[in-house]
This record gives sequence, structure tokens and C-alpha cells, in this order.
Amino acid sequence: MSHIVATDGLTKRYGKRAVVQNLDLRVPTGCVYGFLGPNGSGKSTTMKMLLSLVQPSSGEVRVMGRPMNRATRRRLLADIGSLIESPPGYAHLTGRENMRLVQRTLGLPEGQVEHAVRTVRMHQQLDKRVRDYSLGMKQRLGIAMALARRPRLLILDEPTNGLDPAGIEEIRELLRRLADAGVTVMVSSHLLGEIDRTATMLGILSGGRLIFQGTRAELLAASTPDVLIDGSEPERANALLQAETGSRLDGASVRVPGLDDKATARAVALLVGAGIGVHGVRRDEQSLEDVFMDLTGGGGL
Amino acid sequence: MGAVHAEFLKLKRSLAWTVVALLPAAMAVAGAVNTIAAGQQPEDGWHTVWLRSAVFYGLFPLATGIGILASLVWRVEHRGGNWNALMSGPVSSLRIVAAKAAVVAVLAAAMQAVLLAAVIAVGRLAFALPGMPPARYFWISLLIMLACVPVAVLQSGLSMLMRSFAGPIAVAFLGAAAAVVMLMAELPAAVLVPYALIGRATQLGTGTFGDTGAITPWAVATTAIAAVVLTAALTAATTAVLNRRDTRA
Repeated sequence: MSHIVATDGLTKRYGKRAVVQNLDLRVPTGCVYGFLGPNGSGKSTTMKMLLSLVQPSSGEVRVMGRPMNRATRRRLLADIGSLIESPPGYAHLTGRENMRLVQRTLGLPEGQVEHAVRTVRMHQQLDKRVRDYSLGMKQRLGIAMALARRPRLLILDEPTNGLDPAGIEEIRELLRRLADAGVTVMVSSHLLGEIDRTATMLGILSGGRLIFQGTRAELLAASTPDVLIDGSEPERANALLQAETGSRLDGASVRVPGLDDKATARAVALLVGAGIGVHGVRRDEQSLEDVFMDLTGGGGL
Repeated sequence: MGAVHAEFLKLKRSLAWTVVALLPAAMAVAGAVNTIAAGQQPEDGWHTVWLRSAVFYGLFPLATGIGILASLVWRVEHRGGNWNALMSGPVSSLRIVAAKAAVVAVLAAAMQAVLLAAVIAVGRLAFALPGMPPARYFWISLLIMLACVPVAVLQSGLSMLMRSFAGPIAVAFLGAAAAVVMLMAELPAAVLVPYALIGRATQLGTGTFGDTGAITPWAVATTAIAAVVLTAALTAATTAVLNRRDTRA
């Protein structure tokens, strides 16, 4: 699988404080990569390092197979569109004038800029000044500005921040269309629900470290849901299992965390051997949100 | 040229044009009002009108005005996500620095053109002076425009580095004050200080400072050469700073 973005040991320190630590990102070409993590987990700093806006303290960034650094950034950035932190746009100018600025600065053909505007469905609102735009329109204008250069890679930092549900759905739909058109999209969010259905790959950052990278299915599989045991003597069952497994009473059941299938069988055998009647054994249902909460310590939702 | 053109597009509906029109015009009008209020006539004709407009303008308002223009030009980049968008484009730091400085320099040149036009208007309308000012004032104006370029680069660099609107303007004011002291002390090193360079250029032919009494080829040449050298050095330094800096959080 080819990776449009790959980092090795990517680290950023401010003084003694490490904001991003030893990141080994792999963003497959052509995917929508959901970059998740609680606020302050290092997502924006990482994205800035991918764009060479911030220089890493150590480690390497490779974009489209080439190292990204001060010497190469200009050439590589011609193929990367981005929207970092808040949407760009000169408030005293209209949307059309902002797009003309992008066209003049980058020397782009007019048709290319118009195509970007049509992609984000903004052509009706181009003659309003940006200061009169809603946040959703500003985000769409920012994405149009990023798309104008026809990038192979689009890096969007929290593009759904502050949007209402309709605006969030519009951005999701736009990301799907871009991916269908062959653009690799890396999109960050602190809210899993905003991008998990759009992203084909997920990377989860917590405390500056990458704690998971893979598909949605792999994320679910990576977690081991708690086992709930129903039996005749829950208190005695809990007392037998607690020291070894960290179990606890949950109503009339005993909740046992982190048991794989073999360990579950051993626990049941232990209880049956002690003369406790086991009426039922089941795994607790876990949503993707629960997994995300477990992984990130709950800071993101 | 695309980057410079784009920078001029950003000036649409900008307050910069108000500064360009009002600051020099106000200087020329203030000079005329002082003369009329004192019950005087411009005894040396166009030379007196020029003196009363350009001398004070060149000491403080010009440098401060360039500071204001640079802050206005950069203010839009420090808002929202514009800085990140600017720096994540496939554009070199040199191109960003040069385009911004070029816009500030052109605005400063426009201020000088307005001053000259205001001097002509005041001379004709307020004092009924005949004809046009002597050609030397046009040539001095060109030299002033050239001397403004390094100040434009310096102020543009300061406004690039400082998010504060007023901070770089305060630096310009203090720089102009320091330049006056250097020029009065006739320090040779003054030629290497951008603010002193515009102070010297605006006072040429006025005798305000020891070496600005006569318009000599030496005075013109040193001003022009210093302007070119300072512009190149300041542009290189600002570009190097921008290249090495991380974008702010």
C-alpha cells in the first residue's frame, strides 16, 4: 500500500514539553484519514509539521514519497491544499475577490478556480463580503481556496468546528465527493462521531502519542469489551475473581474487564469449581465512542 | 508580479488609501495655515512652501506613516487562518517578503506624490504662486521615494513579526526620533539607519541639518546607494527570519 504521508519518530518539543512524541503516521493514498484526539492532543501541531509550518524537533516527514522540509516544501505544497485552525479569507473582500487573490498568487487558470468554487457549492454566495459569511460559508470558502490548486492531498484541521448538524453533514458529503475524485483527505476532529463514518482510516492521538492507527473495524477489534457474569452468588463470585482480574459488582452481575476468550473460560471454570452456579456469560456491547473514550481517557467526547 | 498584484487586490477598501491621501495633504495644509496665521507670505516662493510642508513631514510623520501603512498591509494576514494559508502556499518566503514590502513602498511613494501635489495646490490656491515648483523638488521627491524603500522593508518586516498594530508604529516613531538626533549630531553612520535616510532625503536643499543645505551629487549618490544596499540587506534578513520561524500556535 502506498502512503501519501508517512512520518517516522515525529516529535515536537517546546522547551522541555513534548507536544507530539514519536509519531509514525501512515496515510494511505486515496483514503479519507480521520485524525482524532481530544483538544490539546497535538493534532494541529502534527498537521503543521506535515505542511512544514512548524519544524519537527526530531523525526522525519515524507509526503508523496519525498522528505518535507524547508528546502522541499515549496514544490510539495503545490500539490497540498490545507485549512489549518481557522478558515482563511480576507473579511473586507468578497468571496470572489478572495478566490481571485488565490488565482493571482498561484498563477492558476480561471477555470480551475471556478471548479473549486463549484465543488464546495459556493457560486451563489461569491459576491458577499466574507465578513458577512456564516462560519459554514467561511469553512467552505477556505476549502475552495485549498482546492483551487487541484491538490493530491487535502489537510483539513477541524473543518466541522462550530458548525451546526446540517453544516457538518455538508462537509462530510464534500469529503466523500473529494475522495471519490481521487483526492486523499486527512481531516482532524476531536469528535469521533463527526468523521468516523466518512473516514476509511483512523489515527487516534492522545497526549501527543499515536495510540491507534487502522480501520474502524480494527479499532473495534482492538478493544476487549468487559465480560458480565450472572450467577447464583455474585458477591462470592466477585471475591474469587477480584484479586486476579480486577472484577467488580455491577448490579446482579460481576463485571470483569480485559478478559479474552480463554481467560473467560478459566474464570467460569473457577466459579463452577467453587460451587457457584453460572447462569449466563456475555460481553458488554461497546460502541466506537466507548472505545475512543477508553483509548483517550475520555477527553474527546 | 502575480504576488505583488495579489497584494494590491488586498488593498481594496483598505484604510491605507486614506492615510496616503490625508497625511501628506494635512502636512501641506498645516504649513499654509501657519504661514497665513502668522500674517506672512512665502518670501522665497515655492521654496518656502516646500520648506513649510516637507521639513516636519520628513522628520516624523513620514516614518510613522510608513509604519501605519505596513501595519495595515499586514493586519489582514494576522486575522483568522490567513497566516497559515499564506505560509502553506507554494510561494517562497522571499516572494512573500518582497511583495509586501513592494506594496508598502509603492504606498509610501504615493504619499510623496500626494505631498508634491498638495504643495502645488497650496502654492497656487493659497499663495497665488505662478507656474510650477522648480524641477529640483520633483527630483528630490524621486529621491525621497527611493529612500522610503528600506523603511518600507523594515516596517513591513516588523509588522510581519509583530501581531500588534501599534507596536511597529511606535518603533517607527522612536526610530525617527533617534534619526533626528543622529542627523543633528552629523554622525556618518546615520546613512546606514533607514529612518535617518528618509530624514536626510526630505531635508535636502533645506539646510535643516549640516549636510542638507546644498543638493550635491555626493548627497544624492550616498542616499541612493544607501537605499539600495539597505533594501537588499533588510529584505535578505527578513526573508531569513521568515524562513526559520515556526508559525505561531
